[in-house]
Amino acid sequence: MTDAAIEASKLSKDVISSFLRKRVRVLDGLDLSVQKSETFGLLGPNGAGKTTTLKLLLGLIRPSEGTATVLNHTAGDAKALERIGFLPENPYFYSHLTGREFMDFVGRLFGLNGKTRKERTSELLEMVALDKTAYDKPLGKYSKGMLQRLGIAQSLVNDPDVLFWDEPMSGLDPIGRRDVRMILAKLKEQKKTIFFNSHLLPDVNEVCDRVGVLNRGKLVAQEKISTISASGNYRDLEDYFLTVIGESETST
Amino acid sequence: MNTGFKALHSVTAIGLNTFRETVRDKILYAFMLFACAISLISVLLGSLSVGQDIKILEDIGLAAISCICGIIAVFAGTNLVYKELEKRTVYLIFTKPITGWQFIAGKYLGLSACLFIVVAAMGLFLSLLVWFVRPEHSLSLLPSILGFMMPAVLLVYLELLFVIALATFFSTFSSPVMSVLFTLSLWLIGHFGDSLRQLGQMSQNPAFAQFSNFVYFLLPDLAGLTRARSILMYGRNPGLEVIAFITCYVFAYVVLLLVLASAVTDRREFP
Repeated sequence: MTDAAIEASKLSKDVISSFLRKRVRVLDGLDLSVQKSETFGLLGPNGAGKTTTLKLLLGLIRPSEGTATVLNHTAGDAKALERIGFLPENPYFYSHLTGREFMDFVGRLFGLNGKTRKERTSELLEMVALDKTAYDKPLGKYSKGMLQRLGIAQSLVNDPDVLFWDEPMSGLDPIGRRDVRMILAKLKEQKKTIFFNSHLLPDVNEVCDRVGVLNRGKLVAQEKISTISASGNYRDLEDYFLTVIGESETST
Repeated sequence: MNTGFKALHSVTAIGLNTFRETVRDKILYAFMLFACAISLISVLLGSLSVGQDIKILEDIGLAAISCICGIIAVFAGTNLVYKELEKRTVYLIFTKPITGWQFIAGKYLGLSACLFIVVAAMGLFLSLLVWFVRPEHSLSLLPSILGFMMPAVLLVYLELLFVIALATFFSTFSSPVMSVLFTLSLWLIGHFGDSLRQLGQMSQNPAFAQFSNFVYFLLPDLAGLTRARSILMYGRNPGLEVIAFITCYVFAYVVLLLVLASAVTDRREFP
């Protein structure tokens, strides 16, 4: 038993390219450890392997090599999934359900009883500031921002210990982004472990304790936000990110 | 909450979601209206016959229920899993403590429940139509009409349960077009499987006879179901043991197909 909430050891994933049936390594020997109550941001350019990492940690795909554990259970194990909340990158939800029905559906998947489901639904929809008139509207009529808010709410239904959020700020206007930052701050106060992917570096800078940078499937750097800003070597997180990526490109 | 109860809770959640999805699809009502229209047209066809108007209405009406509900079962069933993959809602399901069998059982039961309501509603409509066309117009006749019509409709539903299981199985690993082709082919073969056995019996080659016999036992045989339905429609009783055998046969196939579908789902990745 370790104190780490998320651990990956030599985690690799190969995919078969559809054209030449060639084996391509999209994640290469990832060694990573995220401590309990830590907020970790995984950064990287498009195609770096961020979403693949997330899918491996959630058990949606299986590793080609290496191991991944979440809360000391193998990634994808039911015992781990019971304590995880997940927000997908583009929240594709069931367009035929209303917001309230959708929350109830997710609550049922976790085996919550009717009373708890009802309470959690009202509490969370209020927390993500979803317009009350939208509660009983079909999701097909929701805007991207509304879906993102609902996605965040559903990821918290089971009061998870670990949160995996893929691009939580995408599709949100500045007010929405501020709201998400406030939710994240609240979750940090509750000592939740948060693992998220994002391209929006100012937001990452504000909410994360530590960041890791992936490039071409390899973790090329990881550093505490406080160290990056205190070192004086970088103007901001963007400067750090670009420098690290640049160095990694030069070395390869 | 204990594990067994939790598992059932998850199956119910997925089932309810599938039920809502199917019931809220407008195409379902278009198909139902079409089946009702065919039944109404059969009243006109029946009036052209000599004293066979009720029989024609019953036969065409029941065939319409079977075909239309079959089409709904094939198309909705083959999209059951594919739609979840295409819309990426599958990420939402499998990042929760849900196993392959819970997912498949929920999907299957949700669509089966929806089709039960559709088949029952169509059966009721057909029974009322038969009652209306009969010259007596006595309310006391209605229970007797329902008495032979509803068991026949239930046999249609039993066949649909098999078709949904078949479509669900194929939808776990092939595209909707291929799943529709596979499902329709096996459904059709199921009605002509007996011919294959007869072909083997007629053959002089013992190896071919054995092979055709083997294939016959491997493929579903739905001819018995159709026979029992016809007997019921003629107002006769096919026998309890026949119905019990057919029901067990269909359920065994359904369970086998769902177990295979669950195994495929458990093994697959969701990239």
